[in-house]
Amino acid sequence: MTDVEMAKKNGETHLKTMITTINHPVSYDETAYHLPVSFALTGIAVHDQKAALDVFEKTGNNPLVALECILAERTAAEGRKPAPYTGFIDDTIIRKLGYSLVDGSILGLALVVGTPSGADSASAICRELQEKYMLTFLAGDVVTSLSAAGVKVGLEYRLIPLGPSPSYGIYFVDIIARVAMMFGGVTPGDVQRLLTYARERAKAIVIVYPGLTDEEIAFVDAMRVLGFPILSLGDYHGSGWISASPDMVVRRGMEEKGIRVNITAIPIPMGCSPAFEGKSIRKEEMYVEFGGGRSPAFELLQMNSADEVKDGQVTVIGPEIDRMKEGSAYPLAIIVKVAGKMMKKDYEPVLERRIHNFVNYGEGSWHVAQRDIIWVRISKEVVAKGVKIEHLGKLLSGKFRMDFPQLLDAVSVTLITDEAKVLEAKKDAEKVYEERDARIKGMRDSEVSTYYSCTLCQTFAPNHVCVITPERPALCGAISWLDGKIAYEISPSGANQPIEKGAVINTTNGEFDGVNKFVKKASHGEVERCSLYSVMEYPMTCCGCFECIALMLPEVNGIMIVNREFKGITPSGMTFSTLAGTIGGGAQTPGFAGISKNYILSDRFLQGEGGIERLVWMPSPLKEELKMRLVKKLTEQNKPDLFEKIADETWATTIEELIVYLERVKHPALTMKPLV
Amino acid sequence: MGYDLHFGWTGTIGKVILGATPGEGGTRKTSYSIGGGTTLPFLELNPLLRAPLVALEICDDPEYWSPIIRNYCGDLVDDVDAWAKTAETVYGADLVRLYLTSTRQRNFSDIASVGKTIEAVLSATGLPLILEGSNEPRIDSEVFQRCGETAQGERLLLGTAEAGRYRSIAAAALAYNHSLIAQSPIDVNLAKQLNILLREIGVQREHIVIDPYTGALGYGFEYSYSAMERIRFSALKGDTDLSMPMICSAIDSLTIKEVREAEPSLQDEMAVQWEFYTGISGAAAGAEIICVRHPKTVMMLKNAFASLMKGAGFPEVN
Repeated sequence: MTDVEMAKKNGETHLKTMITTINHPVSYDETAYHLPVSFALTGIAVHDQKAALDVFEKTGNNPLVALECILAERTAAEGRKPAPYTGFIDDTIIRKLGYSLVDGSILGLALVVGTPSGADSASAICRELQEKYMLTFLAGDVVTSLSAAGVKVGLEYRLIPLGPSPSYGIYFVDIIARVAMMFGGVTPGDVQRLLTYARERAKAIVIVYPGLTDEEIAFVDAMRVLGFPILSLGDYHGSGWISASPDMVVRRGMEEKGIRVNITAIPIPMGCSPAFEGKSIRKEEMYVEFGGGRSPAFELLQMNSADEVKDGQVTVIGPEIDRMKEGSAYPLAIIVKVAGKMMKKDYEPVLERRIHNFVNYGEGSWHVAQRDIIWVRISKEVVAKGVKIEHLGKLLSGKFRMDFPQLLDAVSVTLITDEAKVLEAKKDAEKVYEERDARIKGMRDSEVSTYYSCTLCQTFAPNHVCVITPERPALCGAISWLDGKIAYEISPSGANQPIEKGAVINTTNGEFDGVNKFVKKASHGEVERCSLYSVMEYPMTCCGCFECIALMLPEVNGIMIVNREFKGITPSGMTFSTLAGTIGGGAQTPGFAGISKNYILSDRFLQGEGGIERLVWMPSPLKEELKMRLVKKLTEQNKPDLFEKIADETWATTIEELIVYLERVKHPALTMKPLV
Repeated sequence: MGYDLHFGWTGTIGKVILGATPGEGGTRKTSYSIGGGTTLPFLELNPLLRAPLVALEICDDPEYWSPIIRNYCGDLVDDVDAWAKTAETVYGADLVRLYLTSTRQRNFSDIASVGKTIEAVLSATGLPLILEGSNEPRIDSEVFQRCGETAQGERLLLGTAEAGRYRSIAAAALAYNHSLIAQSPIDVNLAKQLNILLREIGVQREHIVIDPYTGALGYGFEYSYSAMERIRFSALKGDTDLSMPMICSAIDSLTIKEVREAEPSLQDEMAVQWEFYTGISGAAAGAEIICVRHPKTVMMLKNAFASLMKGAGFPEVN
């Protein structure tokens, strides 16, 4: 084993001696960046020994500078190495390489140096790098090793042989320095920007075979400051070098640097697009179905460590579709395992909900509901085209990777159709569902310091800003606090932005300094204040997508709710659509608020007005929809009889009828503090 | 009593330079600096700010180009170099916007021809060039690379980047020092988001021109007007992610019902009028570049802009 720290010290001393021996002029003709590494670091154009020593000293005896100067001198003295070696690379080619990097046709850069033990090892690694759209640079015996294995090298193969010894790897750093100056707006001499560019933008990894000299180890180790992971294939230890096996090294390096292969097409024998999302598969069109009360079925998405998830792997346990009888129901478990550096356990339920969308994207696959009440159908039409159970897995793993490229590095799917095994796996899934419920349920607005905004609707309601908290979902009901959080992490410049809630202005109404500041800015100065839990004072603005409208009825000192689906007249004298027209468009209308259905079940609901006791009327279908959960909630709050006291259209469609009803049932709102 | 023509705004529209003269490293006869405004169009008191520029749109394969243009220009449309030259010398355009429609054929792969076309057009006209590359993600990378490389030093305006498809254009702009058009579908927030995406990839503000996407007058222009107005207001209020010049090209003006179904003898005039009034409206909404396809519209717009510029600012009201 080579101790990197020891070798490095030794190598650095040696390089220091070598740089003083430079006496030929050093320069390359085909660049406007002199000796690019030295130039980028210091802004000094090195052409002779004096300048070389000056830069070396200014950079704290940096081995990269030493090696660049030494190699430049050697090239000037001895001429370029013969083909296939490229040696120093011209500006025009760098411009094209940089283009491919920005353009995305190259995902990242890799440097492979050292002496592979056998020809096959290097060729396997290089092939994997090619397949993963990495532009690979080679220096040292690895080049001859590849040639021996019959691997073609050259720019057109994305395998670039820089030179016959590992020290030619300095051109790798040189290329990144020039790309930073050409594309990254890095001014020569601005070390900080150069380092930031190298660390954050240059997606570069270094793979090291054994056989490096001490100077070469010093050089490779010096690249760590640029944020390139150094992956060692044995023989080295210490100094933060990462040991990896040959079959894992590329994957490990890409993960370490956050380089992801984007999936652009899903290889299944049916169409897959959001265009198919709204379709349905009727009984007579269906080949088989799963769940829906006809057979046990469930879905579960969980995160695992990277080693446990093999990307793209789909396993079917139990009979495939060709062994299923047309027109019948079979058991099904959809188990998705995901891994990713940014992935968090909290995201699991949100991602799991996407199974619904993705299965529906399939031209002939259909999905409703969630968890252990799912119902899935596959159409005869696509089964005839060759679609199998396996393809649902391919579709899911592909779509998850496509839609969450930042979040997920690997997705594997297991589909079980064997009844006994489905039932067994379902027990574990149910435990997970319970744990999740407990976690989400426990989440309180007061426990987090960050809320999320949603300004998606500014397209048509220019000044509308939704503030989403754990206990108050977006008024459309479609985006929860967790969704907002994930959306922000996935797309940091998107419509969901974090809001630091800041100092409390009014606890009861839920008014916060930070929220007000954010809303003012995001509403282009139109809305100064926003209370999260009040309908009466500075309520949140309304776009037009609200699931329900909550509004004050002064005659009964209470608040009524009407949902979008309810077409009838309400005690306010207006229908939903009339009300919606009055309050939408991004305006703030005291006495009115757009809300989601789930918010009605929140402990923060109507907090500013004294709580859910204010609720006097809602349409019976909505009441029915919420019944179980609402009764449970009210019982917990020790007001089990309140549910029956809330009127609906079967009791009152006018304010007069409502007054009569509320007085008869002795509704608490009548005796509460006056609303106005 | 005077009026504050800045309405309390403090922002300035960023400048973008189009074209490069031999002194600036290119071969154009002129270069333009657009942007720099501090209030709404035609209210500027700064005499150095120029009127909106008028670009004539041409293409290298006129198969699907409007027959109205073929009728008016004749065989000229089959010779893209001559067309570009005529745009400058006869039609009086400020800019030429070249659509590489040849790349839109099925399975197009002759990338070398793209370079030749661009070289020929650059030598035929001395005007700065707006270049519309491919329309097909499969060949984007190669086409834009070629566009950028061939015209290195000319400070092109490259089109058109969209949210799902901007990397190749951005790369070409970055690698060869050109500017680009960032198009979003009539939405101020999406326009901003695309500008942020471009910034994150490294494109500087002074290399971006916003295309808010424009429909013909009466065919969606009203929405564009509103989006443009909001983009400009945000910019003037200090939002630097939106303070870029705008470009407006209502290409459907030649295919709308009123033009299509006009009496044959009136069709040409109808097309010009429709382009003209859409162009005027686009300039009133804040666009720094107005693109048209009918040669007759070019001078009409230029004269109208010149006359509007003369009346800039409010007269003193007592």
